[in-house]
Amino acid sequence: MALEDDLFRALADPTRRGLFEALVEGEATVKTLTERFHVSQPAVSQHLATLTKAGLTQARPQGRQTFYRARPEGLAPLEGWLSHYQRFWRERLDKLNAVLTEEET
Amino acid sequence: MASIIVDYDFPHAPAKVWKALTEPLLVSKWLMPTDLKAEVGHRFTFTTQPRGDFDGTVRCEVLEVRPLERLVYSWKGGSLDTTVTWTLTPSGTGTVLRLEHAGFKSEEDFAFRGMGDGWRTNVAQRLGGVLAE
Repeated sequence: MALEDDLFRALADPTRRGLFEALVEGEATVKTLTERFHVSQPAVSQHLATLTKAGLTQARPQGRQTFYRARPEGLAPLEGWLSHYQRFWRERLDKLNAVLTEEET
Repeated sequence: MASIIVDYDFPHAPAKVWKALTEPLLVSKWLMPTDLKAEVGHRFTFTTQPRGDFDGTVRCEVLEVRPLERLVYSWKGGSLDTTVTWTLTPSGTGTVLRLEHAGFKSEEDFAFRGMGDGWRTNVAQRLGGVLAE
């Protein structure tokens, strides 16, 4: 659950969601993100660190600049988790149907 | 708060489906071992394998009983504090059974909303709406 906790925490903040969404559209540097989001440079760096820790973004140094990109695949741990209950109930209802059908024969 | 909704068509009459939802021996066959009784206020459990921080026991209380129509119970286990509602609607000679599993907290909430097709697109936008609720 540790990674999922990091994911939820990372995505619970609207600015971080905005940053993640912006990076899904394309790579950006801290500087351009700072200008775009009207948030201080240290704050953007902090948010990116949180997103990176959660596996949602990745840094790519190039020369003296660092580009950040989104890792949409970082959301995958949630996919397994969230499909769990939907799948659980579908399977159980299939079983219920089988039980009822069996009863009739 | 959000919920999972599953509609399921049974070729069986509501009375049969109701029985399978309320008789503990039958429920144990398709869901989990249980001491459920369709009486408002009855406390019961479902038991399964422990997993992670979930001890394998789902604690429930019957909240509403409308024979052949509606059964509601609380569903608490692990970090979940939710409600399960079964609604039966006659359909020809069969029954449409609707399951609604409701009361997921915001972070779980967001997870369930994200389940639709293409959930990875506009994820952040969707999350924003859900978490703001």
